[in-house]
Amino acid sequence: MESASDGGSMVSLQGVHKRFGDLEVLRGVNLEIKKGEVVCVLGPSGSGKSTLLRCVNLLEPPEEGDIHLEQRSICRGPGSGRGEQGWELDFVRQRVGIVFQQFNLFPHKSALENVTLAQEKVLDRPKGEARTKGTELLERVGLGEKMNEYPERLSGGQQQRVAIARALAMDPHVMLFDEVTSALDPELVKEVLDVMRELAEEGMTMMVVTHEIGFAREVADRVIFMDGGVIVEEGPPAQVLENPREERTKKFLGLVLER
Amino acid sequence: MQEFINQFFDVGFMVDHFDEVLEGFWVTIQLSIISGILALIWGLILATLRQLPGKAAMPVRFVTIAYIDVFRGIPLLILILIIAGGVPALEFLPESLRLPQWFGKKDNFWFGVLAITITYGAYMAEVYRSGIESVPGGQMEAARSLGMSHGQAMRSVILPQAVRKVIAPLLNDFIALTKDTTLVSVIALSEVTLVANDIQSETFNSSALMLGALMFLALTLPLARLVDKLIAREQGRFTRGAPRMEAL
Repeated sequence: MESASDGGSMVSLQGVHKRFGDLEVLRGVNLEIKKGEVVCVLGPSGSGKSTLLRCVNLLEPPEEGDIHLEQRSICRGPGSGRGEQGWELDFVRQRVGIVFQQFNLFPHKSALENVTLAQEKVLDRPKGEARTKGTELLERVGLGEKMNEYPERLSGGQQQRVAIARALAMDPHVMLFDEVTSALDPELVKEVLDVMRELAEEGMTMMVVTHEIGFAREVADRVIFMDGGVIVEEGPPAQVLENPREERTKKFLGLVLER
Repeated sequence: MQEFINQFFDVGFMVDHFDEVLEGFWVTIQLSIISGILALIWGLILATLRQLPGKAAMPVRFVTIAYIDVFRGIPLLILILIIAGGVPALEFLPESLRLPQWFGKKDNFWFGVLAITITYGAYMAEVYRSGIESVPGGQMEAARSLGMSHGQAMRSVILPQAVRKVIAPLLNDFIALTKDTTLVSVIALSEVTLVANDIQSETFNSSALMLGALMFLALTLPLARLVDKLIAREQGRFTRGAPRMEAL
């Protein structure tokens, strides 16, 4: 297992602001994630944690501030005013994989086709090579038997594992996880977390928005607590989760752990 | 009663004029199929143009929306008359466009095709749009996150799902289109209505027109049943698909 300090900066956010109309969802976020680091983002709903994640792959480009990916600025920040032309979409999307709360598998494609489609369209991989890679990844997430099933015939946990395999097929340098277990029945949560744990052990750089405190405690190199669009507190899991300094963190953890 | 039957359902009369009416109906079918296919394609192009993202595509979206609004609002009959009366008078066009005689069909046939395609393309664009908009936003996000361009995502992810959802309503539009081909009779195209109406004018017997109506039913009733079947099948589909992602 690589330790967090091995790599240089993978993702870096400086003064990131994001508004939706009058609502300012992110109010100046600074964050540095190193290569191989696993960062869990906690916080109450509406705290901006999902938006933060979606900023990193430019699904929600920030209005202010800058984001660097592997030391390269991926958005020109305020007043660049050129829409998608100002953003390094291709650079970002080839390096950043994302897994969504609602899976978002393509319902008209089989599990394997879900994993091979973008390989062929985006990376121009030959069909055979894409299939080999897809098969390998589906086996790795424990779905070798389900390759030819359509999403509607898979459980939520299985669908989410296909979604992880689909993102991994693009050889991402960073993986973003947006509350990926929140839409799952409780008994299906573990199979997804296990895949993520394995990925972390292999040294993948990961940003995980989650409500799974146990997962954060066990897997994260660093925990970030967000509230009201800013990072309230961050540090090693032991510190943030066991001995939070901030009142808001204490209150949130109290509410979550009480369940 | 006998008079009523003689006027509308004179079987002997129908048999006598069957071949004539059928020949007219064959023109109706050709007109329907060619216009129908072109309208399906044109509608899909319009719907895709309407969904182009970004500021740069704003003029394209605006023009597309204006087109759809205008041609859904103009009666097809007027459009047919405008085209048939106007296009041949446009001296700057080459003769092959002013008076098209393609594939052994006369100009009024092609003017009919043009008018129907223009109008029904607008209708079908709206049907496609409803299909595209019914695909959850998360699908586009997922495709774009994997590095696909907007066009790739549309082609491989959004449209295959959207089209599947709207096959039934498209077929409904096709049934309406088939019936509206009768309007082309006003520019002297010998399709079923004109043929049957001429017979009525000569004989004062409506049975030929009634025969034409029956031929329509023979075509449209099975299509209507097919629509019902497709709708029933669609409702059983993707029921476990992911719900629409919260669009922030």
